[in-house]
Parts: sequence; structure tokens; C-alpha cells
Amino acid sequence: MELNITEEILNDGVNLSFTNMDKFKTNLMSVYIVRPLNREEITKNVLLPLILKRGTQNYKTSLEIERKFEELYGSGLGVNATKKGNRQIIRFTIEGPQERFIGSGNLLEEQLKMLNEIINNPLTEEGVFSNKYVELEKRNLKTRIEGRINNKKQYAVDRCIEEMCKDEVYSLYQYGYITDLEKITSAQMYEHYKTIIKTSPIYISMIGNFEEHDVKKMVEKTFKFERGTLIDIPKDEMAMGTQRENKVFEEMEINQGKLTLGFRTNISYKDSLYESFLLASNILGGGANSKLFVNVREKESLAYYVYTKSYKYKSIMLIAAGIEFENYDKSLKIINEQVEELKAGNFSDKDIQYAKKSIVTSLQSMTDSSFSISEYYFGRKLTQSDRSIEDIIEKINSVNKDDIVKAASKLELDTIYFLKNKGNTEEEIK
Amino acid sequence: MKFDIIKNEKLKEEIHFTKLENGLEVFWLPKKDYMRKYAVFTTKYGSNDNKFVPIGEKNMIEVPEGVAHFLEHKLFEEPDENIFDKFSELGSYVNAYTNFTQTAYLFECTDKFYDNLELLVKFVQNPYFTDENVEKEKGIIEQEIRMYDDSAGWKVFFNCLRGMYYDHPVKIDIAGTVDTIKEIDKDILYKCYNTFYHPKNMVLFMVGDVDFDKAVEVIDKSQKSDIQEYEGEIKRNYVNEKKSINKKIIEENLSVSMPLFNLGFKDTDVGFDGKKLLAKEIATNIILEMIFGESSEFYQEMYNEGFINNSFGGQYIGSKDYGHSIVGGEASKPKEVKDKIISYIEGLKEKGLDNADFERIKKKFIGNHLSEFDSMDYIANKFTSYYFNNILLTDYFESIENIKFNDVEKRFKEHFNEVNCTLSIVNPKV
Repeated sequence: MELNITEEILNDGVNLSFTNMDKFKTNLMSVYIVRPLNREEITKNVLLPLILKRGTQNYKTSLEIERKFEELYGSGLGVNATKKGNRQIIRFTIEGPQERFIGSGNLLEEQLKMLNEIINNPLTEEGVFSNKYVELEKRNLKTRIEGRINNKKQYAVDRCIEEMCKDEVYSLYQYGYITDLEKITSAQMYEHYKTIIKTSPIYISMIGNFEEHDVKKMVEKTFKFERGTLIDIPKDEMAMGTQRENKVFEEMEINQGKLTLGFRTNISYKDSLYESFLLASNILGGGANSKLFVNVREKESLAYYVYTKSYKYKSIMLIAAGIEFENYDKSLKIINEQVEELKAGNFSDKDIQYAKKSIVTSLQSMTDSSFSISEYYFGRKLTQSDRSIEDIIEKINSVNKDDIVKAASKLELDTIYFLKNKGNTEEEIK
Repeated sequence: MKFDIIKNEKLKEEIHFTKLENGLEVFWLPKKDYMRKYAVFTTKYGSNDNKFVPIGEKNMIEVPEGVAHFLEHKLFEEPDENIFDKFSELGSYVNAYTNFTQTAYLFECTDKFYDNLELLVKFVQNPYFTDENVEKEKGIIEQEIRMYDDSAGWKVFFNCLRGMYYDHPVKIDIAGTVDTIKEIDKDILYKCYNTFYHPKNMVLFMVGDVDFDKAVEVIDKSQKSDIQEYEGEIKRNYVNEKKSINKKIIEENLSVSMPLFNLGFKDTDVGFDGKKLLAKEIATNIILEMIFGESSEFYQEMYNEGFINNSFGGQYIGSKDYGHSIVGGEASKPKEVKDKIISYIEGLKEKGLDNADFERIKKKFIGNHLSEFDSMDYIANKFTSYYFNNILLTDYFESIENIKFNDVEKRFKEHFNEVNCTLSIVNPKV
């Protein structure tokens, strides 16, 4: 099962990795660009890939780009910009079928060329990005930012983090800000683009079926990054001081209340207690036999969904549940009781075994998905870890109950966020 | 027992199958080198089957909306053990889902596949409903329904179905409503269970690196022996749905940032399954991609003029007795978008579709189909839902290749008509 990831550093300081496997029908190529997370850049970093996929020197319109991808048997381009701790990651991926299933000779090379075309050969007019495309994509991003209220579950989670980390860069909204967006010009964007390519750590991951030597040559020949001096990316840091009893109620015309509790874990991924924390989080709200599922859902019928989610790079954990507005008090009380039970060590050896098995199964399953393999590789680079999947599994299995209690006892409730319907007074739900 | 193999040279995949004495059909698709193993046990019974003749009875009955889904929740209940714990003990993940035409129970694991398999068969074949456990579930399902009530995408879709259909049960919410689930009791559940969970009405599909003979032996041994028998087919109510649409337009207001729309084209050419249905489905989806996809001039114009954003797209869903294409997305002026779509379609009927578009989209569909075979979940669930429509997933490749441009032209003229379309809009609350 162990993954065989080969790594190289190319002449221009770009990190390249290959995973050659013959079990997939597709090739997946990812380019990760690492940026510092800050208000100055975040909106531009989200906007950039949206502009780049609008037109290139050789494919001047989206129409031409899309048609080219269709010719490559529906090879698909994916772009996004996400927060990871104190960093923002811009990711470009292309995924498409392997040529051995199509009988077409140079699909992989064509896929790589298109990825390079999008990233390194953008359409310019008078030395900057096409003004028309920049304005169109600004408008579309604006809609997306305004649309954050549309998915209520996600909105409640994002808002909790925002309130919880309000004095930290991690509070920044992942799609950026409309006020910043409005000021952005094509010239600024183009300059920002040049800076990004010159100064960012870049990682390329390739997963598919190929001869490594040939592909390395192909990548070197195809990708033309204009590199300069790399910037230092800030390290992840933990909380700047936990808030106590920070309660935030927000109103919206909705049918179900969304309760989100934000905790500081006080354990970084480098901490020896990190795996113990993962197990604690799993016992509390990892699955259908977790404390929260059993007590909030199965025993009290208060919720359909209730779970914990941990944010590795930020050392926080959230509990989220969808409940009736008037069950706020009751639900909060039960959730808090379960957290206390966990801290007091009131869980069985069976619970530990189940949690271990569940985490081990998901670690093992990663090797069955090219996307997971790619993210695993990149995660290792970000955390400067060289642990294999086997190492992590071994570490998980070596954790004992004391470690889990120790990790759980470090959990601190920072913020309670409740999205409720309009009209309910606070007294009514209290 | 007769064992057989379906091979597909182009996909380089094969499916093994057999039929147990009690009528249960068992399938397996080998996936060498994969860590995960996946199995799904599915009954041909979904929210559409709300009128039927119960096993051992003579008259057609109508059950409350949401029974199939309620049953799915309740099958996890056992008299003396917790099913979730059992799967957790094996380190596996168990889940279930209900849609219009089927209810499926699945697990994925990396270890102890045969134990998991035995558990899956046993819990699905062992209903245990009491007044108390049925009542308890109502609170949970009520929260599930309320969660969907906050989802604008779900609302706009079901409103569109209600607009297209007069009598067909596809217009009913899968989980029912807060009111209809109150009418459900254990007798109704047993009646539905005994009728639809007979092995003759079910299929078990496995994917992964497992021993098929051994798996079949486990499944066979685990079969419940005292299953109530019946002759022939289950008598379901086939609605004689009118060809016309019920309502031209349905609007609702929710807390969203921008209007959301679904434009549904009701299929009037229904009443058949098998290869003919498959060919119709693929042809219709090819048309939708040709005329509304990102590589169409229409999409690009509408996008550039700000009428639509990248959420815009269309899909055809079809079964033996109903079918519809839905084109939708976010749009600030959905009514204008509808008018533009209709006049565009009328124009295309004069001008004709483009053969070059057709050939490109075909390539894309072939590539996408190949890529989907990297996903175990996709293979197992898609195979089953096709199988219930007398279609083999392994025929898909050939079916795409066989589709001719004039099939697509003909289908386009027949299916996309203003008289059989409904516009559903979710507007922002002011």
C-alpha cells in the first residue's frame, strides 16, 4: 500500500513529484502555489485563477479553451484558492483520461501543455490582463461573495470561525472582500500575477501511469515559470488568546437553527499529542457511534446532523448541529456535557478502538484516490514532514487513553455561534 | 448457482454475477491494487412507490409521503445491538440513501470485508420496528426535512418537479413533509418492508479486491430463511401522467443573495427502458452539453452579458415512466434567461445543430465515462440504478459510440419545446 512518491527540484526552484500507479484510468496534475494569508492579497489570489482561465495567448477565449479540453476527451481544469493556517494556497489541476484507454498518442503531453498555457501564458492586452476579462471575473466573484449566505450550514461554520479568530488573519473570508475587489485594476492584477509566479513556493504533483524519466523531461520542457527570489511564508501559529463566553447570535429568515461551537485545541500538528487529539475529536463527534451522535441525535432526537471537524493548520475544532430554534439551550447543554465527559475520560476502550480503526481506514483509503494522494503529498511539504502513511498509522495505534484525555483536556471553548430565525427574541431561545 | 462474467474491453473492466436461489442478484467488479472495498445492497423501492398492493393482499393502498426514506432510517435499528457500533468495530463506514426509485445500504472498508458483508445483509434483512423507536425517529427526520427546507437548490428543484407533473409521485419530497411523517407507524413500515425488501426485488453490488466465490457464500449463508414469498411481480401503481405540464411557473422566496432557477422540460417520449432508454438519456445529455455547456456560444454570450454565471448547466434524468431535462443556475433575471433560452432553441431548430459540437461532446462523454471508473462508489451505485432500468453500465461506452448526429437532431426537436417547460424560481426575500 505504501505510496511511491518520487520528488525532484527543478532548476527554477519548482518542486516536482510523481506517483506512478497503474490502477487509475486518469492522470491528475496539480500545481500548488503558496502565498501568505493576508487581507492585502486574499481577494486578488481568489480572482487570479478565474482571470487566467478566461484566455491565453494561444486560446484567446473561454470558448477556445473549453473546446480544446473537450478535444482532450473531457480533461477538466480545476482552480481554487483555499486557506491553510496562515497561508493561502492557489491550486490548478487538470484531470483527464490516460491515453492507453483512448488510443490517442500524446494526451498527457497535451494536458500538461494546457495547464502551462493557463498558468504561464495568459492573454494580455497592452502589457496587462484583458480589461474585459478582469471586469467580468470581478463581477462573478462579487456574486460568489454575496452568495455566502446561500448555504446556511457552511455560512454558520464560516461565521463562527470569523468571530472566533477575529484578531487573526485566519478570520479572513476565503473568497475575499467586495470592497477590495472593486478597487482592483487589470494593471494591479497583472503585476500581482508576475509577483506570484516569481516569488511563491510552487509544488507540482503528477499522478498517473507514465515513465518518470520521460515525464520529468516533458515537465521541464513544458512549464516555463518566470522565477525570481522566493518570499518567506509565515509559519502556522496557534491562538492569540482564547475568548471566553463569546456568544454570537445572528438572525436570518431560515427554517432550522444552525449551532456552531468553536474550540481552541491548543495542540499543533507538530505536537506529540496531535494524533491523540484526532482520536478525541473522533470519539466526540466523528461518526454514528460518537458521543454527540448518540446523545444529541439518537437519544434526544434534537438534530439530524451533529459532528466535530478539526482544522489541522489552525489548531481549532468546531462542533456543528442543525436544531430547532427553541432547543438551543437543551442542545448546548448536552453538547457541553459530552465535551466534559470526554475530558473526564468517560469513554471506553472500545470507543478508542473504534476511533483508531476509523482513522486508520481513512488513511489507508487515501491511496485509492489520486486527489487524496496529491493533497497528502502537498500536506507533507507544507508541514515539512516526511512521515509515511504507515508511520502515521503506527502513531495512531500507539496512542493510549491517558494521551486522549490529556489532549481533550486542552480543548477550550472559544465561541458559540447561533444562526437563528428572525423574530425570536433572545429570551425565547434562552 | 450459475456464475457469469460481462467483459468490457475498452474499459478494461469485468463484472461477475450470479443469482441466489431466493432471487437475489449479486454482482462484483474487481479492482486490483485498491485498498478500499465497497458493497451496496439496494432495493428497487423509492419515494415514487407510494401506491402498491402489499404482499399477501389484494387491494392497492396509498402510504404517507416519506415512508421509503423513513424505512431506511429505521433499518439500522436492531433489538439487541447497535449496528453503527458493529461497523465501527470492523473499522468500516456504513451509510444509506433513498431516492425516487431505490433505497441503498452501503459500507466501505479496508479490512474484514466478509464480516462487513455479512453484517450488511443481516441488518437489512432484519427489520425491528417498535412504536417507541418509530416515534423517536420522527424528531430526527423532522430536522432532516428542515435542513432541506433551508436549501434553495433543493427547493427550486422540487418546485420544478411539482410544476411539471400532475400526478406522478416524482413530485413528492423524498423524505415527505413534517406532517406526512407523523402518520407513519410500525405497521405501515412492516407492510412496505415485507413487500419491497424481498431478495427478488434487490441487488447486491461489490467492488474491490475480494474473492467472489467466498463473498457469494457469505451472502448466501446470511440470507434470512423465513422471507414471505410471492409470485410474479410486485404490483405498483403506474400513473398515467398527462403529457402536458401542470404549471408554467412556480416562485418561492427564501434567504438567498440572488435568484435561483430551474427550467424543466418534461419528457413526453416515455414508457420504455433498456438500451433504448440509455440511448435517449445519452443523446439528451449530449444535446444539453452542446447547446448550454461552457463550450457553447450561447453560454459564453450569456455569461459575458451577465445573465448567468458558472453555476449554469443542464442535465437529463430519465426512468421508464418519467423523464425531464433541467437547465438551471443562479441568475439575476431568471425570466429573461428563460425567454432567451426559448428563443435560442427556436432559432436552433431553424438553423440546425452543429456536427462539430456533437463530435467534441461525444469525446468528452467518453473521457468522463472512463474517469468515472476510478470511483468505486460511482460504479456500484450507477450500475444498480441502471440495472433497475434494464440497462447494463458496461453498455454505456458502446451506446455513446453508436449515437449518430441525426439521432441527436431528432431528439432535440422533439424534446425541447416551450409548451412542455416549467420555470421554477427561488427569489431572495426582501
